[in-house]
Amino acid sequence: MRVSLPVSVLGALFAIVLMADVVHAQMPATFIVESPTMRTGEMMPRNYSPDGRNVSPPLSWRGLPDGTREIVVICQDHGAGRPPPWVHWLIYNIPGDATGLPEGIPFDPADPMPSNVMGAAQGNNGWGLAMYRGPAPPGTSLHHYHFAVFALDIELGLPPGMTRDEVLEAMDGHVIGEGSMVPIYSRQPAGRDTIPGGALRRSGSDR
Amino acid sequence: MTDERRKKDAITRRDLLKAAGAAGAAAMIPTSLDGAPVEAIRPVASAVTAMSNAPLMNLTARETEILAAMIDRLIPSDELGPGALDAGALGFIDRLLSEAGSTSVDAYRSGLAALDRYSEYTRGGRFVELSERDQDSALIDLQTGGAGGAGADFVGSSGGFFNMVKSHTWQATFGDPHYGGNVDFIGWDLIDYPGVRMRVSDEDQRLLDAEQLEPVRRSAYDYAMFGTGRPRGPDLDGEG
Repeated sequence: MRVSLPVSVLGALFAIVLMADVVHAQMPATFIVESPTMRTGEMMPRNYSPDGRNVSPPLSWRGLPDGTREIVVICQDHGAGRPPPWVHWLIYNIPGDATGLPEGIPFDPADPMPSNVMGAAQGNNGWGLAMYRGPAPPGTSLHHYHFAVFALDIELGLPPGMTRDEVLEAMDGHVIGEGSMVPIYSRQPAGRDTIPGGALRRSGSDR
Repeated sequence: MTDERRKKDAITRRDLLKAAGAAGAAAMIPTSLDGAPVEAIRPVASAVTAMSNAPLMNLTARETEILAAMIDRLIPSDELGPGALDAGALGFIDRLLSEAGSTSVDAYRSGLAALDRYSEYTRGGRFVELSERDQDSALIDLQTGGAGGAGADFVGSSGGFFNMVKSHTWQATFGDPHYGGNVDFIGWDLIDYPGVRMRVSDEDQRLLDAEQLEPVRRSAYDYAMFGTGRPRGPDLDGEG
């Protein structure tokens, strides 16, 4: 028996096959993202949160695909935000030959970027501030912090202060590699026995 | 500091003050955080307002020291001109706490103590001992609310305390000098506010557009239509 399909169904099938080919053709390579002070699934040091100095953590990456011209880093919490995710950090215009970010990227735009990532710019986080602000999950909850690193085949040349959506839109179709790490955090408030400022400073190996 | 750095700083701060001043100066009589309008504070003669070095009536010397350091980071004195302390913000806030904002005294005292504890816990020193960068970073954590869960015992949210102090600092710096701040029109000069005018002619508008209009540096209450029937301060109206 000969079965004839409507033209619209045939068109949809053709589109699915075509999409699959496109997705396959554009599937980014994966590469390694690491940090000397953080590991996936482990607690972030308090110094990367408002329980400490709230400086940005160091990151490194290796195995980026050939042709990488720019690197973008986004840190976000998929368990926060309305709607999620809550953006903690957004930094782009990182040169394609950079191998990582040092600890403590300046939060003041008047301060220069470290020499190995000169030209990098920070976008707006969930608080509308163009800087890193670390995890502060409510109460005693434990959240996951997704540090995603993207390798691009173009230089975006975006100005500071862009939103996550604006950067993602600019990146669209140009991601040739990606990697990530996902440390966790719950608040680590100072104990009353640390008042004022002695024991905490002496005992804090992660400060 | 390099020339380039100084230029960037200037642009950043100028932009900030322009944005802040647009709201503060244009409104003329802004509202305090707890809902008490600033106009409820009795206006004072300018001679009485020059009290930035005098002890405050509502805060201890230690609390005053912390508040002064905080205010000095919100609107610092720098190459662009004097800051909020020079504008008399400390005296303005003390007067506010004595009168319309008296319900905020406890919020100030607990908030300033919490800020000091937070600085100790997270950055290893009292707030006044921190570098300017660390002071700014700590204040950002207050602003975003992150400081609230760090064990420093902020009452309510750290953001609420930050916004209260910021709001009062803005009012002190950019409000009408009649209320005890904006000494020598420092705030209006910072934002190039053209001043209070009863009438704006076409020529005034043209000069304003050309950025050539000479600013008026005169309190609104120096005009008869605003000054009539209002007390001029404790030294003039016989009240204490």
